[in-house]
Amino acid sequence: MNVIEIEKLTKNYGKSRGIIDVNLTIEQGEVFGFIGPNGAGKSTTIRTLLGLIHPTSGSAKIFGKSCFDSPEVRREVGYLPSEVFYYDNMRVIDLLKYSASFYKKDCTKRINELAEIMDLDLNKKIDDLSFGNKKKVGIVQGLLHEPKLIILDEPTSGLDPLMQQKFFDLIAGENKKGATVFFSSHILGEVQKMCSRVALIKDGRIIKLEKMSSLQENSYKRIKLETKSAMYKDAFNIDGISKLELKGNSADFIYKGNINSIIRRIGEFELANLTIDEPDLEEIFMHYYAKED
Amino acid sequence: MNIFLRELRANRKSLIIWSVCIFLLVLSGMAKYTAYSSGGQSAAVFNNLPHSVKALIGMGSFDVTTMAGYFAMLFLYTELAVAIHAALLGAGIIAKEERDKTTEFLMIKPISRKTVITSKLFAAFVNVVIVNIVTLVSCVAMVTKYNKGPDITSEVIMFMLSMFIVQLVFLTLGAAMAAFTKSPKASGSFTMGMLLIAFIISKITDLTDKINVLNILSPFKYFSYVDLVSGKGLDIVSVILSLSLVAAFAASAYFFYPKRDLHI
Amino acid sequence: MNMYLHELKSLGKSTLIWACSILAIAVIYFSLYPGIVKDAADFKSLLSGYPAEIRAMLGISLDNITTILGYYSMIFSFVAICGAIQATNYGLSTLSKEARERTADFLLVKPVSRASIVTSKLLAALTMLLATNVLYFIGAFVTANLVKTSDYNVKLFFLVSLTLLFLQLIFFALGAFISVFFKKLKSVLPISLGVVFGLYILGAVLVTGEDDVARFISPFQYFNIGYILNNAGYESTYMITGALIVAVTIAASYIIYVKKDIHAVN
Repeated sequence: MNVIEIEKLTKNYGKSRGIIDVNLTIEQGEVFGFIGPNGAGKSTTIRTLLGLIHPTSGSAKIFGKSCFDSPEVRREVGYLPSEVFYYDNMRVIDLLKYSASFYKKDCTKRINELAEIMDLDLNKKIDDLSFGNKKKVGIVQGLLHEPKLIILDEPTSGLDPLMQQKFFDLIAGENKKGATVFFSSHILGEVQKMCSRVALIKDGRIIKLEKMSSLQENSYKRIKLETKSAMYKDAFNIDGISKLELKGNSADFIYKGNINSIIRRIGEFELANLTIDEPDLEEIFMHYYAKED
Repeated sequence: MNIFLRELRANRKSLIIWSVCIFLLVLSGMAKYTAYSSGGQSAAVFNNLPHSVKALIGMGSFDVTTMAGYFAMLFLYTELAVAIHAALLGAGIIAKEERDKTTEFLMIKPISRKTVITSKLFAAFVNVVIVNIVTLVSCVAMVTKYNKGPDITSEVIMFMLSMFIVQLVFLTLGAAMAAFTKSPKASGSFTMGMLLIAFIISKITDLTDKINVLNILSPFKYFSYVDLVSGKGLDIVSVILSLSLVAAFAASAYFFYPKRDLHI
Repeated sequence: MNMYLHELKSLGKSTLIWACSILAIAVIYFSLYPGIVKDAADFKSLLSGYPAEIRAMLGISLDNITTILGYYSMIFSFVAICGAIQATNYGLSTLSKEARERTADFLLVKPVSRASIVTSKLLAALTMLLATNVLYFIGAFVTANLVKTSDYNVKLFFLVSLTLLFLQLIFFALGAFISVFFKKLKSVLPISLGVVFGLYILGAVLVTGEDDVARFISPFQYFNIGYILNNAGYESTYMITGALIVAVTIAASYIIYVKKDIHAVN
């Protein structure tokens, strides 16, 4: 069964671009990654899906229904926006109880569990919380009704690494229990860790939709190395190397392919320094653009 | 200077709207003058009405059949409108950084908070001056158009001078409130609350002579408009006292704003 | 129901403050009444010397001016202004609150329709306006009875006081209507003061007589208290106009709010 069905979805803001002809289907139990740079249209897609903004054309459905026509489908949806703002003069527990009151089931136990995990003081006023703590309220708030679909829009900003780990464990746990996860981010690493499939969006269009496993097979690495003696250009004449910059004793390139073969080749040099990084997203997009042309 | 220009630009739209509204107010108010001035008999009625009855029907102590008297009655409404403008402007211009969550942007710039206040107050001052000039020009034009009696331009200018001081009182009151109160949202409400109280006090002390001491709380009562109508000009003591009130409010804005923890 | 209660709670304190302020105005004015009634005889003899048409122009009903009802009708406009500001504030702020406090991403992804959000919010605010009126009426009624010098018609007193509720309904609906046109309404007070004082001043300077069409411009002119006191009822033309304004603006608010795009916060 498809949890999310987005068909030919287009949204214009006046004359400026929103998203163009977006198609996506997400099946039950998937962890789906949605990546793209800032302003690519990730939030627009999500907000249309949630029924916050109206599509110019096309449709966005959750559990086969549009949020505008049947708002009750949102009973099974948990949403965590990138920036959280709540009613300042409420206490955390009052806000969570108010949130729970929309779902017609007793969430008290789950609230306490989640607050325990996220290390959140329920009796503080929201006004007095730091940005990171507000974010925790957002997480508890989004998960307290044990939703079948969890929508995350750049969820980790403002969380320290320890909390990020706890958060990913939480999401993974929910996924094991059967929840579908729609995870939007501009950080490739985050998405790689969790997702089974990813879509790449740029300038309002989906430019790639792929299984994580196949994306990882040809995973991209940015490799920088410095050697003790000068390098010859032919040494890098192997498949999968692009954007090579060679300057005397240092080389800088992007590699896509079997990691073992490149390591063997690098091993031939007398190395002074070596770094292997995730290339930033922009570079991967550039790569996809290059391939399309 | 850059803050000053930024604030001028930010307030341009609201300044235009206020100016147009005040012009329309003066225009429509003056157009009704003929209804009052016609009928010689009614003049006698107005003059003989007891003080408190006139107050009850909103004419204060003026002979509204003469241009100066009618103008004075209309002036009270105009003054109320520009006072609201000044109070909202004063409170808003200081509080808006916190309201719009731009505090961090502005406050990490290499300028002191006093400079911020100075630029903002100057920008507000310019706005208030413009509103005053717009009112003056509309009033003089409309009065000239409908006036059949003696010329009252000098009285109108006196009225506008007194109005300017009242504007300054409310402007600096708003600024002081915004600099003092912790909640930026509340400062506008506080200032407006005080303005409303001042307005109601001025209406109540019209009715009775026994509680004139309350007039201290109401800038609408700082100047005797009966004296202005009869051409006696502004009372210099009142002018000095109100200007020192303005100075006190402005000083407290300078005093409190740098000391306060800004709400981010 | 949960949204209704939530909104109700968030308005509680402000309702109490507004109700007390509105009542305070009436109480202060009523406390001046005994002093004024002392001079009543002088007033009457003085006024009766003038032709009826002049008295009509002044809007003073001679017999009424020194009775508690006549006095009430004179001071009621201040009560009305204050009440109108409260109502406009509530109207403006209730539907724009989510955008202003950036909580749209919280409330609008809950499994409830936008229409039901509007309904809960409007009902909560209306409940509070009703509560304000009840409090005001009880307070004003008690005070009037304390200062009265002779008996008066309680039904008329009630009819006059009830116009506060009508005015508040109109201004509330206007406020709600205005608010849905804003993407983000940063501060409510300037607009509500502008609307209320604008309409009040317009009414005061434009309207000269009872038959003036200019009366339609300002809701403050819809309820002529002199008419109410003389006829023990309201002018149906203006009642209908008021009801129409409320119906149309509320319906439009629903439609626009439901169709609105809710953009990301920043």
